[in-house]
Amino acid sequence: MKKYRVRALVGKELREVSRNLAVLLPVGIVTMVALVLPFVVAMGIPAITGHPLGDDRDLVNVSGAIPGPGYLAGEARVQYFLFQQFLLVFLLMPITGAMALAAHAVVGEKQARTLEPLLATPVTTAELLVAKVLGALAPTLGIALPGLVLYFAGIAALAEPGVLRAMLVPRTLLMIGLLGPAAALVSLQAAIVVSSRVNDARTAQQFGVLLILPLTVVLIAQFTGSLWLTTAQLALIGLGLLALWAALTLVSVVLFERETILTRWR
Amino acid sequence: MIAAQGLSRAFGGRTVVDAVSFEVNRSEIVALLGPNGAGKTTTMRMLAGLVKPTRGSVHVLGVELTRATGPDLRARIGFLTESPGLWDRLTVRENLRVYASIYGIADADRVIARALDLFELTPHGLARAAELSKGMRQKVALARALLHEPPVLLLDEPTSGLDPEIARSVRALLRERRAAGCAILVSTHNLDEAERVADRVAVLHGRLVAIDRPAALRQRLMTGRVVVRLAGDPAPHLPIVRRFDAAPEVDGASLTLSLPRAEQEVPALVRALAAAGAGIVEVRHEMPALEDVYLRLLGEDRGRPAS
Repeated sequence: MKKYRVRALVGKELREVSRNLAVLLPVGIVTMVALVLPFVVAMGIPAITGHPLGDDRDLVNVSGAIPGPGYLAGEARVQYFLFQQFLLVFLLMPITGAMALAAHAVVGEKQARTLEPLLATPVTTAELLVAKVLGALAPTLGIALPGLVLYFAGIAALAEPGVLRAMLVPRTLLMIGLLGPAAALVSLQAAIVVSSRVNDARTAQQFGVLLILPLTVVLIAQFTGSLWLTTAQLALIGLGLLALWAALTLVSVVLFERETILTRWR
Repeated sequence: MIAAQGLSRAFGGRTVVDAVSFEVNRSEIVALLGPNGAGKTTTMRMLAGLVKPTRGSVHVLGVELTRATGPDLRARIGFLTESPGLWDRLTVRENLRVYASIYGIADADRVIARALDLFELTPHGLARAAELSKGMRQKVALARALLHEPPVLLLDEPTSGLDPEIARSVRALLRERRAAGCAILVSTHNLDEAERVADRVAVLHGRLVAIDRPAALRQRLMTGRVVVRLAGDPAPHLPIVRRFDAAPEVDGASLTLSLPRAEQEVPALVRALAAAGAGIVEVRHEMPALEDVYLRLLGEDRGRPAS
Protein backbone atom coordinates (compact mmCIF):
# COMPACT_ATOMS: atom_id res chain seq x y z
CA MET A 1 0.00 0.00 0.00
CA LYS A 2 1.48 3.35 -1.07
CA LYS A 3 0.87 6.07 1.50
CA TYR A 4 1.14 8.87 -1.06
CA ARG A 5 -1.73 7.43 -3.05
CA VAL A 6 -3.91 7.03 0.04
CA ARG A 7 -2.99 10.59 1.05
CA ALA A 8 -3.95 11.90 -2.39
CA LEU A 9 -7.34 10.18 -2.25
CA VAL A 10 -8.08 11.23 1.33
CA GLY A 11 -7.18 14.80 0.34
CA LYS A 12 -9.62 14.53 -2.54
CA GLU A 13 -12.37 13.26 -0.23
CA LEU A 14 -11.79 16.09 2.24
CA ARG A 15 -11.80 18.71 -0.49
CA GLU A 16 -15.08 17.37 -1.82
CA VAL A 17 -16.61 17.44 1.67
CA SER A 18 -15.32 20.97 2.25
CA ARG A 19 -17.17 22.08 -0.91
CA ASN A 20 -20.38 20.44 0.25
CA LEU A 21 -20.57 21.05 3.99
CA ALA A 22 -24.24 20.10 4.01
CA VAL A 23 -23.19 16.43 4.03
CA LEU A 24 -21.68 17.03 7.47
CA LEU A 25 -24.93 18.41 8.84
CA PRO A 26 -26.12 15.02 10.18
CA VAL A 27 -22.77 14.52 11.96
CA GLY A 28 -22.97 18.05 13.35
CA ILE A 29 -26.56 17.67 14.54
CA VAL A 30 -25.95 14.28 16.16
CA THR A 31 -22.80 15.61 17.84
CA MET A 32 -24.71 18.62 19.10
CA VAL A 33 -27.49 16.42 20.51
CA ALA A 34 -24.93 14.11 22.13
CA LEU A 35 -23.21 17.15 23.61
CA VAL A 36 -26.29 18.86 24.98
CA LEU A 37 -28.24 15.79 26.14
CA PRO A 38 -26.02 14.84 29.14
CA PHE A 39 -26.18 18.38 30.48
CA VAL A 40 -29.94 18.49 30.05
CA VAL A 41 -30.27 15.20 31.94
CA ALA A 42 -27.63 15.91 34.61
CA MET A 43 -28.37 19.61 35.24
CA GLY A 44 -31.36 20.83 33.22
CA ILE A 45 -34.02 18.39 34.39
CA PRO A 46 -33.09 18.63 38.12
CA ALA A 47 -33.11 22.43 37.78
CA ILE A 48 -36.51 22.44 36.09
CA THR A 49 -38.15 19.88 38.40
CA GLY A 50 -36.44 21.03 41.57
CA HIS A 51 -35.49 17.46 42.38
CA PRO A 52 -31.71 16.83 42.55
CA LEU A 53 -30.45 13.60 40.97
CA GLY A 54 -29.22 12.46 44.37
CA ASP A 55 -32.89 12.24 45.49
CA ASP A 56 -33.63 9.50 42.96
CA ARG A 57 -33.03 6.25 44.81
CA ASP A 58 -32.89 4.09 41.65
CA LEU A 59 -30.38 6.38 40.00
CA VAL A 60 -28.22 6.47 43.11
CA ASN A 61 -28.29 2.65 43.27
CA VAL A 62 -27.36 2.32 39.58
CA SER A 63 -24.58 4.87 39.83
CA GLY A 64 -23.25 3.10 42.91
CA ALA A 65 -23.00 -0.12 40.96
CA ILE A 66 -20.14 1.18 38.86
CA PRO A 67 -16.66 1.77 40.23
CA GLY A 68 -15.87 5.37 41.04
CA PRO A 69 -13.60 7.48 43.19
CA GLY A 70 -14.41 7.52 46.88
CA TYR A 71 -14.37 11.28 47.12
CA LEU A 72 -17.57 11.58 45.09
CA ALA A 73 -20.92 11.20 46.79
CA GLY A 74 -24.58 12.07 46.27
CA GLU A 75 -25.25 14.44 43.40
CA ALA A 76 -21.61 14.41 42.20
CA ARG A 77 -21.56 10.63 42.13
CA VAL A 78 -24.70 10.45 39.95
CA GLN A 79 -23.33 13.16 37.68
CA TYR A 80 -20.07 11.23 37.32
CA PHE A 81 -22.07 8.11 36.38
CA LEU A 82 -24.09 9.99 33.78
CA PHE A 83 -21.13 11.79 32.21
CA GLN A 84 -19.12 8.56 32.02
CA GLN A 85 -21.98 6.72 30.35
CA PHE A 86 -22.79 9.59 28.03
CA LEU A 87 -19.12 9.79 27.02
CA LEU A 88 -19.45 6.51 25.16
CA VAL A 89 -22.71 7.72 23.67
CA PHE A 90 -20.91 10.88 22.64
CA LEU A 91 -18.14 8.89 20.97
CA LEU A 92 -20.47 6.56 19.11
CA MET A 93 -23.28 8.88 18.05
CA PRO A 94 -21.34 10.91 15.43
CA ILE A 95 -20.56 7.64 13.64
CA THR A 96 -24.22 7.33 12.78
CA GLY A 97 -24.00 10.59 10.85
CA ALA A 98 -20.75 9.62 9.14
CA MET A 99 -22.33 6.37 7.95
CA ALA A 100 -24.25 8.25 5.29
CA LEU A 101 -20.99 9.72 4.07
CA ALA A 102 -19.30 6.32 3.89
CA ALA A 103 -22.32 4.54 2.43
CA HIS A 104 -22.30 7.01 -0.45
CA ALA A 105 -18.54 6.75 -0.99
CA VAL A 106 -18.20 4.09 -3.70
CA VAL A 107 -21.69 4.14 -5.18
CA GLY A 108 -21.44 7.93 -5.43
CA GLU A 109 -18.23 7.68 -7.47
CA LYS A 110 -19.86 5.13 -9.70
CA GLN A 111 -22.92 7.26 -10.30
CA ALA A 112 -20.77 10.30 -11.07
CA ARG A 113 -18.77 8.05 -13.45
CA THR A 114 -15.54 9.06 -11.73
CA LEU A 115 -14.64 5.54 -10.66
CA GLU A 116 -13.43 4.14 -13.98
CA PRO A 117 -10.63 6.67 -14.57
CA LEU A 118 -9.54 6.10 -10.99
CA LEU A 119 -9.50 2.32 -11.37
CA ALA A 120 -7.42 2.74 -14.53
CA THR A 121 -4.59 4.16 -12.41
CA PRO A 122 -2.17 2.15 -10.25
CA VAL A 123 -4.46 2.69 -7.23
CA THR A 124 -5.15 -0.66 -5.58
CA THR A 125 -8.53 -1.62 -4.18
CA ALA A 126 -7.14 -1.58 -0.63
CA GLU A 127 -5.75 1.93 -1.09
CA LEU A 128 -9.05 3.14 -2.50
CA LEU A 129 -11.16 1.64 0.28
CA VAL A 130 -8.87 2.73 3.11
CA ALA A 131 -8.89 6.24 1.67
CA LYS A 132 -12.68 6.16 1.54
CA VAL A 133 -12.90 5.17 5.20
CA LEU A 134 -10.35 7.75 6.31
CA GLY A 135 -12.08 10.33 4.14
CA ALA A 136 -15.31 9.75 6.09
CA LEU A 137 -13.57 9.39 9.46
CA ALA A 138 -11.50 12.57 9.30
CA PRO A 139 -14.38 15.07 9.03
CA THR A 140 -16.29 13.10 11.67
CA LEU A 141 -13.39 13.40 14.08
CA GLY A 142 -12.98 17.00 13.02
CA ILE A 143 -16.44 17.68 14.39
CA ALA A 144 -16.39 15.22 17.29
CA LEU A 145 -13.08 16.38 18.80
CA PRO A 146 -14.05 20.04 19.30
CA GLY A 147 -17.34 18.66 20.65
CA LEU A 148 -15.34 16.58 23.10
CA VAL A 149 -13.44 19.64 24.26
CA LEU A 150 -16.78 21.39 24.81
CA TYR A 151 -18.06 18.31 26.68
CA PHE A 152 -15.23 18.47 29.20
CA ALA A 153 -15.35 22.25 29.34
CA GLY A 154 -19.06 21.95 30.16
CA ILE A 155 -18.35 19.42 32.91
CA ALA A 156 -15.64 21.71 34.33
CA ALA A 157 -17.99 24.68 34.28
CA LEU A 158 -21.33 23.14 35.28
CA ALA A 159 -20.81 19.83 37.10
CA GLU A 160 -20.29 19.32 40.83
CA PRO A 161 -16.71 19.81 42.08
CA GLY A 162 -14.54 16.71 41.60
CA VAL A 163 -16.54 15.27 38.67
CA LEU A 164 -14.08 16.50 36.02
CA ARG A 165 -11.11 15.21 38.03
CA ALA A 166 -12.80 11.82 38.35
CA MET A 167 -13.39 11.76 34.61
CA LEU A 168 -9.78 12.44 33.68
CA VAL A 169 -8.50 8.90 34.12
CA PRO A 170 -6.86 6.35 31.77
CA ARG A 171 -10.25 4.73 31.12
CA THR A 172 -11.57 7.96 29.63
CA LEU A 173 -8.45 8.47 27.53
CA LEU A 174 -8.79 4.91 26.26
CA MET A 175 -12.37 5.53 25.25
CA ILE A 176 -11.45 8.72 23.43
CA GLY A 177 -8.18 7.59 21.89
CA LEU A 178 -8.92 3.97 21.05
CA LEU A 179 -12.48 2.80 21.46
CA GLY A 180 -14.23 5.69 19.69
CA PRO A 181 -11.97 5.79 16.63
CA ALA A 182 -11.82 1.97 16.41
CA ALA A 183 -15.61 1.70 16.54
CA ALA A 184 -15.82 4.39 13.89
CA LEU A 185 -13.36 2.57 11.64
CA VAL A 186 -15.30 -0.68 11.89
CA SER A 187 -18.65 0.97 11.24
CA LEU A 188 -17.39 3.04 8.33
CA GLN A 189 -15.56 0.11 6.78
CA ALA A 190 -18.77 -1.91 6.98
CA ALA A 191 -20.61 0.96 5.31
CA ILE A 192 -17.95 0.96 2.55
CA VAL A 193 -18.55 -2.76 2.00
CA VAL A 194 -22.23 -2.01 1.60
CA SER A 195 -21.46 0.89 -0.72
CA SER A 196 -19.36 -1.28 -2.99
CA ARG A 197 -22.05 -3.98 -3.22
CA VAL A 198 -25.18 -1.99 -4.01
CA ASN A 199 -26.25 -0.18 -7.13
CA ASP A 200 -27.56 3.11 -5.83
CA ALA A 201 -26.96 5.52 -3.00
CA ARG A 202 -30.42 5.12 -1.45
CA THR A 203 -29.94 1.37 -0.97
CA ALA A 204 -26.50 2.02 0.49
CA GLN A 205 -27.98 4.41 3.04
CA GLN A 206 -30.77 1.98 3.95
CA PHE A 207 -28.20 -0.70 4.69
CA GLY A 208 -26.04 1.87 6.45
CA VAL A 209 -28.89 2.50 8.87
CA LEU A 210 -29.00 -1.23 9.69
CA LEU A 211 -25.35 -1.09 10.68
CA ILE A 212 -26.25 1.36 13.40
CA LEU A 213 -28.30 -1.31 15.23
CA PRO A 214 -25.35 -2.85 17.13
CA LEU A 215 -24.39 0.61 18.31
CA THR A 216 -27.94 1.17 19.52
CA VAL A 217 -27.72 -2.00 21.66
CA VAL A 218 -24.57 -0.63 23.30
CA LEU A 219 -26.29 2.68 23.93
CA ILE A 220 -29.32 1.04 25.55
CA ALA A 221 -27.07 -1.05 27.79
CA GLN A 222 -25.33 2.17 28.78
CA PHE A 223 -28.54 3.86 29.82
CA THR A 224 -29.70 0.96 31.95
CA GLY A 225 -26.38 0.86 33.75
CA SER A 226 -26.10 -2.84 32.93
CA LEU A 227 -22.91 -2.28 30.97
CA TRP A 228 -19.79 -1.15 32.72
CA LEU A 229 -16.53 -1.94 31.05
CA THR A 230 -13.29 -1.84 32.98
CA THR A 231 -10.18 -0.19 31.57
CA ALA A 232 -8.74 -3.58 30.63
CA GLN A 233 -11.99 -4.64 28.96
CA LEU A 234 -12.11 -1.38 27.05
CA ALA A 235 -8.53 -1.85 25.87
CA LEU A 236 -9.32 -5.39 24.74
CA ILE A 237 -12.45 -4.30 22.95
CA GLY A 238 -10.55 -1.44 21.31
CA LEU A 239 -7.83 -3.78 20.05
CA GLY A 240 -10.47 -6.28 19.00
CA LEU A 241 -12.23 -3.58 17.01
CA LEU A 242 -8.96 -2.63 15.30
CA ALA A 243 -8.42 -6.29 14.40
CA LEU A 244 -11.99 -6.45 13.15
CA TRP A 245 -11.35 -3.34 11.05
CA ALA A 246 -8.30 -4.96 9.49
CA ALA A 247 -10.34 -8.10 8.76
CA LEU A 248 -13.20 -6.03 7.35
CA THR A 249 -10.74 -4.16 5.15
CA LEU A 250 -9.57 -7.47 3.72
CA VAL A 251 -13.16 -8.62 3.26
CA SER A 252 -14.09 -5.35 1.57
CA VAL A 253 -11.12 -5.71 -0.82
CA VAL A 254 -12.29 -9.21 -1.72
CA LEU A 255 -15.90 -8.11 -2.12
CA PHE A 256 -14.99 -5.07 -4.20
CA GLU A 257 -15.40 -6.42 -7.71
CA ARG A 258 -13.92 -3.75 -9.96
CA GLU A 259 -15.19 -5.45 -13.06
CA THR A 260 -18.76 -5.92 -11.86
CA ILE A 261 -18.90 -2.33 -10.68
CA LEU A 262 -17.78 -1.10 -14.10
CA THR A 263 -19.79 -3.40 -16.30
CA ARG A 264 -23.02 -4.14 -14.48
CA TRP A 265 -23.82 -1.03 -12.50
CA ARG A 266 -25.87 1.45 -14.45
CA MET B 1 4.09 -2.10 -26.97
CA ILE B 2 0.55 -3.43 -26.39
CA ALA B 3 -0.69 -6.72 -27.73
CA ALA B 4 -3.99 -8.56 -27.51
CA GLN B 5 -3.80 -12.27 -28.12
CA GLY B 6 -7.01 -14.23 -28.66
CA LEU B 7 -8.85 -11.83 -26.43
CA SER B 8 -12.41 -12.92 -25.67
CA ARG B 9 -14.95 -11.77 -23.19
CA ALA B 10 -18.39 -13.12 -22.45
CA PHE B 11 -20.98 -11.59 -20.13
CA GLY B 12 -23.37 -14.28 -19.00
CA GLY B 13 -23.78 -16.43 -22.09
CA ARG B 14 -23.19 -13.58 -24.54
CA THR B 15 -19.81 -13.21 -26.17
CA VAL B 16 -19.04 -9.54 -26.57
CA VAL B 17 -15.46 -9.83 -27.78
CA ASP B 18 -14.41 -12.95 -29.63
CA ALA B 19 -10.80 -14.04 -30.17
CA VAL B 20 -9.43 -10.61 -30.98
CA SER B 21 -5.70 -10.39 -31.68
CA PHE B 22 -3.76 -7.32 -32.70
CA GLU B 23 -0.80 -5.23 -31.69
CA VAL B 24 -0.17 -1.56 -31.41
CA ASN B 25 3.49 -0.88 -31.92
CA ARG B 26 5.76 1.88 -30.76
CA SER B 27 5.15 5.11 -32.68
CA GLU B 28 1.89 3.83 -34.10
CA ILE B 29 -1.72 4.95 -33.92
CA VAL B 30 -4.37 2.29 -34.45
CA ALA B 31 -8.01 3.30 -34.73
CA LEU B 32 -10.57 0.87 -33.38
CA LEU B 33 -13.74 1.19 -35.45
CA GLY B 34 -17.01 -0.52 -34.85
CA PRO B 35 -20.72 0.08 -34.40
CA ASN B 36 -22.33 0.46 -30.97
CA GLY B 37 -22.08 -2.81 -29.06
CA ALA B 38 -19.19 -4.05 -31.18
CA GLY B 39 -17.05 -4.54 -28.07
CA LYS B 40 -14.80 -1.51 -28.44
CA THR B 41 -15.13 -0.30 -24.84
CA THR B 42 -14.84 -3.85 -23.47
CA THR B 43 -11.69 -4.35 -25.53
CA MET B 44 -10.27 -1.07 -24.25
CA ARG B 45 -11.10 -2.04 -20.68
CA MET B 46 -9.43 -5.42 -21.09
CA LEU B 47 -6.33 -3.72 -22.47
CA ALA B 48 -6.33 -1.35 -19.48
CA GLY B 49 -6.68 -4.25 -17.04
CA LEU B 50 -10.11 -3.15 -15.85
CA VAL B 51 -11.96 -6.15 -17.22
CA LYS B 52 -10.55 -9.64 -17.18
CA PRO B 53 -10.65 -11.55 -20.47
CA THR B 54 -12.60 -14.81 -20.49
CA ARG B 55 -9.87 -16.14 -22.76
CA GLY B 56 -6.67 -14.73 -24.19
CA SER B 57 -4.10 -12.36 -22.83
CA VAL B 58 -2.85 -8.80 -22.95
CA HIS B 59 0.81 -7.85 -22.99
CA VAL B 60 1.87 -4.30 -22.24
CA LEU B 61 5.50 -3.39 -22.91
CA GLY B 62 6.27 -7.09 -23.10
CA VAL B 63 4.76 -7.93 -19.71
CA GLU B 64 1.57 -9.95 -19.39
CA LEU B 65 -1.20 -8.01 -17.75
CA THR B 66 -2.32 -9.94 -14.67
CA ARG B 67 -3.76 -9.11 -11.28
CA ALA B 68 -0.20 -8.93 -9.92
CA THR B 69 1.30 -6.83 -12.71
CA GLY B 70 -1.82 -4.68 -13.20
CA PRO B 71 -1.00 -1.77 -10.85
CA ASP B 72 2.53 -1.32 -12.24
CA LEU B 73 1.41 -1.61 -15.85
CA ARG B 74 -1.49 0.77 -15.31
CA ALA B 75 1.11 3.37 -14.33
CA ARG B 76 2.45 3.06 -17.89
CA ILE B 77 -0.95 3.42 -19.56
CA GLY B 78 -2.92 6.59 -20.13
CA PHE B 79 -6.60 5.67 -20.37
CA LEU B 80 -9.24 8.10 -21.53
CA THR B 81 -12.56 6.65 -20.51
CA GLU B 82 -15.81 7.01 -22.41
CA SER B 83 -17.02 9.61 -19.92
CA PRO B 84 -14.59 12.31 -18.67
CA GLY B 85 -15.28 11.30 -15.05
CA LEU B 86 -14.16 14.50 -13.37
CA TRP B 87 -14.89 15.30 -9.75
CA ASP B 88 -17.36 18.12 -10.18
CA ARG B 89 -16.69 19.86 -6.88
CA LEU B 90 -12.96 20.04 -7.50
CA THR B 91 -11.31 22.59 -9.73
CA VAL B 92 -9.56 21.60 -12.92
CA ARG B 93 -6.18 21.97 -11.20
CA GLU B 94 -7.33 19.93 -8.20
CA ASN B 95 -8.62 17.15 -10.46
CA LEU B 96 -5.24 16.95 -12.16
CA ARG B 97 -3.40 17.32 -8.86
CA VAL B 98 -5.06 14.20 -7.40
CA TYR B 99 -3.99 12.14 -10.40
CA ALA B 100 -0.48 13.65 -10.36
CA SER B 101 -0.19 12.55 -6.73
CA ILE B 102 -1.53 9.08 -7.50
CA TYR B 103 1.07 8.67 -10.24
CA GLY B 104 3.73 9.99 -7.86
CA ILE B 105 4.71 12.74 -10.29
CA ALA B 106 7.55 14.84 -8.92
CA ASP B 107 7.26 18.55 -9.63
CA ALA B 108 3.51 18.19 -10.08
CA ASP B 109 2.93 21.96 -10.31
CA ARG B 110 5.09 22.28 -13.39
CA VAL B 111 3.60 19.18 -15.03
CA ILE B 112 0.05 20.36 -14.37
CA ALA B 113 0.85 23.86 -15.65
CA ARG B 114 2.28 22.35 -18.84
CA ALA B 115 -0.78 20.12 -19.33
CA LEU B 116 -3.12 23.07 -18.82
CA ASP B 117 -1.11 25.10 -21.28
CA LEU B 118 -1.08 22.30 -23.85
CA PHE B 119 -4.87 22.09 -23.86
CA GLU B 120 -5.37 25.84 -23.50
CA LEU B 121 -6.97 25.26 -20.12
CA THR B 122 -4.81 27.64 -18.09
CA PRO B 123 -7.54 30.30 -17.78
CA HIS B 124 -9.91 27.60 -16.47
CA GLY B 125 -7.50 26.06 -13.97
CA LEU B 126 -9.40 27.41 -10.98
CA ALA B 127 -12.86 26.67 -12.37
CA ARG B 128 -14.76 23.81 -10.84
CA ALA B 129 -15.25 20.88 -13.18
CA ALA B 130 -19.02 21.24 -12.86
CA GLU B 131 -18.80 24.66 -14.52
CA LEU B 132 -17.05 23.37 -17.65
CA SER B 133 -18.60 22.71 -21.04
CA LYS B 134 -18.61 19.17 -22.42
CA GLY B 135 -15.67 19.95 -24.67
CA MET B 136 -13.68 21.46 -21.81
CA ARG B 137 -14.34 18.42 -19.64
CA GLN B 138 -13.11 16.20 -22.42
CA LYS B 139 -9.93 18.28 -22.68
CA VAL B 140 -9.31 18.00 -18.94
CA ALA B 141 -9.81 14.23 -19.17
CA LEU B 142 -7.31 14.09 -22.01
CA ALA B 143 -4.83 16.19 -20.05
CA ARG B 144 -5.30 13.75 -17.15
CA ALA B 145 -4.63 10.73 -19.39
CA LEU B 146 -1.40 12.30 -20.65
CA LEU B 147 -0.26 13.75 -17.33
CA HIS B 148 2.23 11.00 -16.48
CA GLU B 149 3.56 10.79 -20.05
CA PRO B 150 2.62 7.14 -20.52
CA PRO B 151 4.18 5.14 -23.36
CA VAL B 152 0.81 3.51 -24.07
CA LEU B 153 -2.36 5.50 -24.67
CA LEU B 154 -5.85 3.99 -24.81
CA LEU B 155 -8.31 6.66 -25.84
CA ASP B 156 -12.02 6.00 -26.00
CA GLU B 157 -13.59 8.57 -28.33
CA PRO B 158 -10.99 11.29 -27.66
CA THR B 159 -12.58 13.97 -29.84
CA SER B 160 -16.15 13.28 -28.77
CA GLY B 161 -17.85 16.57 -27.94
CA LEU B 162 -14.95 18.70 -29.11
CA ASP B 163 -15.38 21.49 -31.64
CA PRO B 164 -13.53 21.01 -34.95
CA GLU B 165 -10.70 23.33 -33.99
CA ILE B 166 -9.99 21.57 -30.71
CA ALA B 167 -10.49 18.15 -32.34
CA ARG B 168 -7.83 19.12 -34.83
CA SER B 169 -5.43 20.15 -32.06
CA VAL B 170 -6.09 16.81 -30.33
CA ARG B 171 -5.23 14.95 -33.53
CA ALA B 172 -2.05 17.03 -33.78
CA LEU B 173 -1.26 16.09 -30.21
CA LEU B 174 -1.75 12.40 -30.97
CA ARG B 175 0.67 12.68 -33.89
CA GLU B 176 3.11 14.40 -31.56
CA ARG B 177 2.81 11.61 -29.00
CA ARG B 178 3.25 9.07 -31.78
CA ALA B 179 6.44 10.87 -32.86
CA ALA B 180 7.58 10.67 -29.23
CA GLY B 181 7.29 6.87 -29.42
CA CYS B 182 3.86 6.23 -27.90
CA ALA B 183 1.68 3.31 -28.90
CA ILE B 184 -1.82 4.74 -29.27
CA LEU B 185 -5.13 2.94 -29.62
CA VAL B 186 -8.05 5.23 -30.42
CA SER B 187 -11.61 4.01 -30.32
CA THR B 188 -13.84 6.07 -32.56
CA HIS B 189 -17.03 6.18 -34.60
CA ASN B 190 -15.55 8.91 -36.70
CA LEU B 191 -14.25 7.37 -39.92
CA ASP B 192 -12.83 10.64 -41.11
CA GLU B 193 -10.84 10.95 -37.92
CA ALA B 194 -9.63 7.36 -38.20
CA GLU B 195 -8.42 8.06 -41.71
CA ARG B 196 -6.73 11.31 -40.74
CA VAL B 197 -4.89 10.12 -37.69
CA ALA B 198 -4.44 6.35 -37.76
CA ASP B 199 -1.63 4.34 -39.26
CA ARG B 200 -3.87 1.31 -39.18
CA VAL B 201 -7.56 0.78 -38.74
CA ALA B 202 -9.05 -2.18 -36.88
CA VAL B 203 -12.69 -2.93 -37.63
CA LEU B 204 -14.29 -4.65 -34.68
CA HIS B 205 -17.64 -6.36 -34.70
CA GLY B 206 -17.36 -8.69 -31.74
CA ARG B 207 -14.51 -10.26 -33.65
CA LEU B 208 -11.78 -8.45 -35.50
CA VAL B 209 -13.18 -8.10 -39.00
CA ALA B 210 -10.12 -6.43 -40.51
CA ILE B 211 -6.99 -4.57 -39.52
CA ASP B 212 -4.84 -2.79 -42.03
CA ARG B 213 -3.70 0.60 -43.29
CA PRO B 214 -6.65 2.76 -44.42
CA ALA B 215 -5.37 2.78 -47.98
CA ALA B 216 -4.99 -1.00 -47.98
CA LEU B 217 -8.54 -1.39 -46.68
CA ARG B 218 -9.82 0.83 -49.45
CA GLN B 219 -7.84 -1.21 -51.93
CA ARG B 220 -9.99 -4.19 -50.97
CA LEU B 221 -13.03 -2.47 -52.45
CA MET B 222 -11.28 -1.37 -55.58
CA THR B 223 -13.77 -2.09 -58.34
CA GLY B 224 -11.53 -1.46 -61.31
CA ARG B 225 -13.25 1.82 -62.01
CA VAL B 226 -10.96 4.36 -63.61
CA VAL B 227 -11.65 8.07 -64.11
CA VAL B 228 -10.15 9.77 -67.14
CA ARG B 229 -10.44 13.53 -67.41
CA LEU B 230 -9.76 15.04 -70.81
CA ALA B 231 -9.06 18.61 -71.88
CA GLY B 232 -12.14 19.64 -73.85
CA ASP B 233 -15.09 17.67 -75.19
CA PRO B 234 -14.59 13.90 -74.84
CA ALA B 235 -17.20 13.02 -77.53
CA PRO B 236 -14.69 12.66 -80.44
CA HIS B 237 -12.73 10.13 -78.40
CA LEU B 238 -15.63 7.98 -77.25
CA PRO B 239 -15.15 5.35 -79.97
CA ILE B 240 -11.64 4.70 -78.64
CA VAL B 241 -12.89 4.57 -75.07
CA ARG B 242 -15.67 2.12 -76.01
CA ARG B 243 -13.02 -0.37 -77.17
CA PHE B 244 -12.12 -0.70 -73.52
CA ASP B 245 -15.54 -0.23 -71.89
CA ALA B 246 -18.66 -0.45 -74.00
CA ALA B 247 -20.66 1.84 -71.67
CA PRO B 248 -18.47 4.49 -70.10
CA GLU B 249 -20.09 7.08 -67.83
CA VAL B 250 -19.65 10.58 -69.19
CA ASP B 251 -19.76 13.57 -66.87
CA GLY B 252 -18.57 16.73 -68.59
CA ALA B 253 -14.94 16.19 -69.50
CA SER B 254 -14.66 13.15 -67.23
CA LEU B 255 -15.15 9.56 -68.30
CA THR B 256 -15.53 6.72 -65.84
CA LEU B 257 -14.69 3.27 -67.17
CA SER B 258 -14.98 -0.17 -65.65
CA LEU B 259 -11.71 -1.92 -66.36
CA PRO B 260 -11.51 -5.34 -64.72
CA ARG B 261 -7.85 -5.67 -65.75
CA ALA B 262 -6.90 -2.07 -65.06
CA GLU B 263 -3.18 -2.77 -64.70
CA GLN B 264 -2.96 -3.83 -68.35
CA GLU B 265 -5.81 -1.82 -69.81
CA VAL B 266 -5.03 1.66 -68.46
CA PRO B 267 -1.63 2.02 -70.21
CA ALA B 268 -3.17 0.82 -73.47
CA LEU B 269 -6.08 3.26 -73.11
CA VAL B 270 -3.74 6.18 -72.40
CA ARG B 271 -1.57 5.31 -75.40
CA ALA B 272 -4.61 5.06 -77.69
CA LEU B 273 -6.08 8.37 -76.48
CA ALA B 274 -2.72 10.14 -76.78
CA ALA B 275 -2.23 8.76 -80.29
CA ALA B 276 -5.67 10.13 -81.23
CA GLY B 277 -4.58 13.56 -80.00
CA ALA B 278 -6.67 13.65 -76.83
CA GLY B 279 -5.44 16.00 -74.12
CA ILE B 280 -5.31 13.84 -70.98
CA VAL B 281 -5.54 15.91 -67.82
CA GLU B 282 -5.89 13.12 -65.25
CA VAL B 283 -6.16 9.35 -64.98
CA ARG B 284 -6.94 7.84 -61.60
CA HIS B 285 -8.48 4.85 -59.92
CA GLU B 286 -11.80 5.61 -58.27
CA MET B 287 -11.04 4.99 -54.60
CA PRO B 288 -13.85 3.94 -52.30
CA ALA B 289 -14.26 6.01 -49.12
CA LEU B 290 -13.23 4.35 -45.87
CA GLU B 291 -16.89 4.55 -44.90
CA ASP B 292 -17.79 2.34 -47.88
CA VAL B 293 -15.13 -0.15 -46.86
CA TYR B 294 -16.29 -0.10 -43.27
CA LEU B 295 -19.94 -0.65 -44.15
CA ARG B 296 -19.04 -3.37 -46.60
CA LEU B 297 -16.89 -5.19 -44.06
CA LEU B 298 -19.60 -5.00 -41.42
CA GLY B 299 -22.19 -6.14 -43.93
CA GLU B 300 -20.05 -9.14 -44.83
CA ASP B 301 -19.47 -9.94 -41.18
CA ARG B 302 -23.18 -9.79 -40.37
CA GLY B 303 -23.73 -12.30 -43.12
CA ARG B 304 -21.24 -14.73 -41.60
CA PRO B 305 -22.45 -17.52 -39.38
CA ALA B 306 -21.65 -17.00 -35.69
CA SER B 307 -18.56 -18.90 -34.53
